[in-house]
Amino acid sequence: MEVALAVPPDIVFIILATITLLAAILALQAKELIYGAIGLGISFIGIAGFFILLDAPYLAMLQIAIYVGAVVVLILFTIMLVRREVGEEVIEKGERGEGAAGLWIAGLLAVSIAGVAALAGPNLASTPPPGQLPVSALGPVLVTEYPVPLVILALLLSAALLGALMLAKVER
Amino acid sequence: MIWAVLILLFTGPLLTLPYLIVFPKRKEDHFRDMPFESGQVPQGEARRRLSMQYYPYVLMFVVFDVVGMFLFAWGISFTRIPIGSSLMVLLFLILLGAPLGYALRLALRRENW
Amino acid sequence: MVNLPTNPADILPFIISIITSHTFITLVIFPGLIHLVLASSFLTWYERKLLARIQLRIGPLYAGWPGGILQPIADGVKLIFKEVIVPYKADRTLFTWIPLALVFLGTLPFAVIPFGQNWVIANLDVGLVFVFATTSIFPSMIIIFAWASNSKYPFIGGLRSLFQQVAYEIPMWISALSVVILARSLNLLDIVNAQAKIWFIIPAFLSFIVFFICVMAELERLPFDLPEAEPELVAGWYTEASGVIFMALFLALYLKLYLMSTLVTVLFLGGWWGPAFLPQPVWTILKTMVVATFIIIPRGIYPRIRVDMLIKLGWTRLLIIALGNVFLTLLIVNSGVLSAWGL
Repeated sequence: MEVALAVPPDIVFIILATITLLAAILALQAKELIYGAIGLGISFIGIAGFFILLDAPYLAMLQIAIYVGAVVVLILFTIMLVRREVGEEVIEKGERGEGAAGLWIAGLLAVSIAGVAALAGPNLASTPPPGQLPVSALGPVLVTEYPVPLVILALLLSAALLGALMLAKVER
Repeated sequence: MIWAVLILLFTGPLLTLPYLIVFPKRKEDHFRDMPFESGQVPQGEARRRLSMQYYPYVLMFVVFDVVGMFLFAWGISFTRIPIGSSLMVLLFLILLGAPLGYALRLALRRENW
Repeated sequence: MVNLPTNPADILPFIISIITSHTFITLVIFPGLIHLVLASSFLTWYERKLLARIQLRIGPLYAGWPGGILQPIADGVKLIFKEVIVPYKADRTLFTWIPLALVFLGTLPFAVIPFGQNWVIANLDVGLVFVFATTSIFPSMIIIFAWASNSKYPFIGGLRSLFQQVAYEIPMWISALSVVILARSLNLLDIVNAQAKIWFIIPAFLSFIVFFICVMAELERLPFDLPEAEPELVAGWYTEASGVIFMALFLALYLKLYLMSTLVTVLFLGGWWGPAFLPQPVWTILKTMVVATFIIIPRGIYPRIRVDMLIKLGWTRLLIIALGNVFLTLLIVNSGVLSAWGL
């Protein structure tokens, strides 16, 4: 009796997708905002798992360090800026027509995915694309072949920083 | 792939270590469960509202998190790339140095801590 | 890819072959779970003894014959049987499960840290960034736990811890960048192997100082003791933790201490390189204990740093020194001065 100890990639993908989706649903539906932030953090970790499955380990680490490490902290801080009584109910369920909107968007997504799958034909594979991206290859490529995006990134980050500083300054 | 499975297997058993005794869920007792304030009765709400003045620090952390990650990608390939790319990264750092200086000047000038 | 035995007589050899396989040994025994639990318990005892000697007392004495060495086990048993009090209207789920998640996070980076040439669980090419990414999740969990215990002292302590850890993570990363430039790799095994002839503390001495200070700040050790300011905040962000929950948090904190000490050893002090009369993992552990001693000693000596000085130190002085040392390292590597040592 032979048992494969290495798990086939599809099962890992399904588990990761389930975790990510459930966390995202938690992030949207939670009554306490903190639970929403935690759900967001877990879904970010799930996406990092997807990066690992796609053979891009450095991107996965980048995702965890930046998103789960910094952005979730920022979101938590912003949540605590908002004063809210414990157990406050905002809007009753069903008033905003959320069920109908959800069904409509799900239908649109299903039609578009089916269309893409039909156009792709028999080449729709479930295995990750070939080719690895080790860090030793990613590092040089990132710096040599994309100098303009680097500079634009620097300008973008500076703009974000200055904007936030302006906001914090006016609030005095 | 195998290292991902190994990492998960590695941390899984450690999860059960401290939680060997399942503590029962008791009824909430206002007196016993009062938050600890060295004896005096706590007044007011515990989760106060934060001030907006601390926002620059967290945002600086986010920005420099991204910068740090890019610098790591550059650091490992430093000897193999032409000098022009390193100068680009230097420009990257200098462009971010100006808002950093301004942020620090603004944040450190106030005595709001 | 493994043949399960169908014959009942073969089950015992099969189990033995799994237990003695290298993967299992590194995962469970060394540097795995058993070693981590033993090491962090030993560190709790070691800290109490060391601080006691600095403060001219004796420390744990009665539990276990050679100087109270079984004290951590006694503490663990006591904490398991204590009552867990969840504060009034606190968030019960988060309060219960976040300490467990912290222990999980504390053990996860050890999967990539090498204790010897063959003693590493998962030799990732992105090892260093993996360690930094997982340790950057700590501040968010601490602030969630502090929020979950519906009480003022933990909340203030949690916020202070958040700002402190966030301020000192960036200089830590940038000072590790100097090491990465010297070793030209993020793989921790390669970084230690590159220190075969010269330990990185010598070319990157300023980075070592910055990294060490940031490690002390990350671990919330005196003099960076604000989140746990005992005369002010009782116990900071874990005031409301009691019983098993406190044991989990305590374990997580000392795991983090061991992790940071091991990281300093691997990055700057040459990992396992030493004269060959001792096996390689022993050298790593010895050096880690020396680093841990230097982290623990200031707790008995220094007063606490003030909060605005803390922020100023982290964001201005340390960051600029770390960046300066990165440029210095670039110049050193470029000029080829270190080629005699293979760098």
